[in-house]
Order: sequence, then C-alpha cells, then structure tokens
Amino acid sequence: MNDIVTVTFAADTRNVALARTLTAAMAARADLTLDRLEDARLAVDEAVSEVLASAPPGAEVTAAFTPSEGRLTVVVSAATQAPAPPSETSFGWTVLTALADVADASVIDGRLTIHVEVAQETVGA
Amino acid sequence: MTPSSSGGGQRDVMRQRERELLDELGRLDRGDPRRDAAREELITMHLPLVKHLARRYRDRGEPWDDLVQVGTIGLIKAIDGFDASTGAAFSSYATPTILGEIKRHFRDHAWAVHVPRRLQELQSKVMAEADSLTARLGRAPTVREIAESLGVGEDEVLEAIEARQAYAAAPLEAEDAPTSVVATLGAEDPALAEIDDRETLRILLASLPERERTIVTLRFFRGMSQTQIAEEVGVSQMHVSRLLARSLATLREGLAQGAGA
Repeated sequence: MNDIVTVTFAADTRNVALARTLTAAMAARADLTLDRLEDARLAVDEAVSEVLASAPPGAEVTAAFTPSEGRLTVVVSAATQAPAPPSETSFGWTVLTALADVADASVIDGRLTIHVEVAQETVGA
Repeated sequence: MTPSSSGGGQRDVMRQRERELLDELGRLDRGDPRRDAAREELITMHLPLVKHLARRYRDRGEPWDDLVQVGTIGLIKAIDGFDASTGAAFSSYATPTILGEIKRHFRDHAWAVHVPRRLQELQSKVMAEADSLTARLGRAPTVREIAESLGVGEDEVLEAIEARQAYAAAPLEAEDAPTSVVATLGAEDPALAEIDDRETLRILLASLPERERTIVTLRFFRGMSQTQIAEEVGVSQMHVSRLLARSLATLREGLAQGAGA
C-alpha cells in the first residue's frame, strides 16, 4: 500500500496544529486505536516543535506521512541552524521515544530530519 | 506609628532574602545546584503574587489551575530575566511579565472556546461510543470502529476528536480527585535523573496540577499506555490525551524559556 501524503508549510508555530490534524487523519488510515492515534499526534507535535526550534527564519518544514496497516511513519524535516540533532537526553526526546516505537534524528547538509513511527501494540494489554 | 509599618520588620526580612537570592542567581553558574535552589525559593516566595494577579482573570471560563500555571511561567521568565544590578524592585519587574503571560494564554486559546452545537452533540456521541467500545473490546477502538458502530463517516469521527482536543472546548472535570497512584510521582522522580535541564523540569512539573503531573509521569517515565492511565486515574482516555497535550505544551514552553535564560 502506497498511501503517502506530503505537506510543506512555513516554519511557524501556528502550523503545528495543522500537522497535528493531519496526523489524526493519517493515523486513522493506519487503523491505529484512539490512544495510539493520540500518541502519534503528540509525537508529531513534538517532532515539528523540535524542528521549528532550530529552523532559520523563512524556512519551510516538510512532513511526510505514510500509513500502513497498524503503523504510521512520519518524517519531518527542515533546514536547521543546529550542528547536531537534538540531544537524546533532552526532555523532548524522552517524550518522543516514549510515544513512538521508532524515533531517530539526523542533521545532514544543514537539514534536520526526524523520523518517527507509531505502531499498534501487538499485545491486547 | 503608621498602619503600614506594622509587620514591616518581617517584610524587610523577606525583601532582604529576595535580594540575596536574586544576587545569588546572577552570580552562580547555570549548572550550580545552589542556583536551582535559589530559583525554587524565589518561585515559592512569589507564588502569592502570581495568584493575586491571576485572580483578576478568574471568572473568564479558564480553570484556576491553568491561570496559576501560566502565571508561574511568567514568574519564571521574570526571575530568569531580572537584572539585580539595576536596583529595580523585583515585584514591579515581575508583574507585567506575569500578566503578559496570562493575557497571552487567553489570546492563544480563546479561539477554541466556541464549538458549534452539531459538533458538540457528535462529540458526546463519539466519546460515549469510544467508552463502550473500550469496555467491550478491552482496548481503545479505532476511528473506523467508532464510525461503523455509530453509522457515521470516519471524517466525522475525526472532526469530533479534533474538537474534543481543542483547548477548553469542554469543561474539565474536577482536577483534584485523589488517585491510587503513589504520591512520590512527578517532581522527585528518579526517572528524571538522566534528563537535561532536569532542575527546570522539576520546577515545571511541580507547577502542574497534581493529576497532570501524574499523567505525564505515567506516560513518559513509566511507559504506561493512555488507556492504562485512564483506568488508573479514573478518567477517559480522551481526557488523558488532552491533559497530556496541554501539559506538554506548558513544559515545552517553560523549558524553552529556561534554555534561553
């Protein structure tokens, strides 16, 4: 299934809500349960905020959403003024790893990319 | 003796202490633990000022705890931004910062207060269905399951969820219901030990209403799912996610301030 949706928006905190709304719709396509859908939203919120925090003025943020059965993958990226990805011991990163099954970040050629995956837990806990 | 001089001695002691703490803040290095202690004492000392200022805004439909919380962020900003060498009084410096933060809170969130009736009705149907499906399935339902069960479109369910998330769209239940979760959660949590800026984080966590602090801790430092937390704390999962979103926004903003200081 190739159901990718990519959006580009100005690096402005007003657009965080937009990314959040889109995340809910894409999480529904991935058939995530409501609690994981909300986790996905919080994770994207965190990822976008993290990217915005180091983006230079006038930057554009790209967010790509790929839903598959029971899993939503989101890749958020923008130009960055930071030399390195966010510290893994920052609170933001702690939050991100608690919410997502996969979370990684890289800075390549002045661009910060954060990749998160939120999956449906296999156990019916 | 003028009336204002009664208790003046104590006030002088307070002012003296405030001055010492502010000097200390200016002098000590960022990583110095004494700095955090000084900061914390200053926050505690000025909490009555925050409450006093927040009181002006109390009858405007925002929960009291939220007003105190954003006011406290203003206070932290003021503490971090204050330059003791100017000789200005701290409270007159802090007052506009605290008020500014409270006003900004209203400006940022006022948009979401009005939810159309149609959406309100849909919302309560979706919430009720989510609860009964959760009970039936033993896990949270998906959007599709709710839509099928209610005979509405998935987009409508999404819209209802979105409206539910909108800030202050629905009244919050009483915030201070006791929970069975151990009281040591939160500000003193050993899970914080590995995190950068943990002293600022501790202060910010301590400024959250108790239930929010519990929920944040259980989700991020204990790895419990939103559904498990909902059971533990005795609120709906949607409410848990709302409180999480709100607490995170507060913490993120507070940390950004702390880092910029």
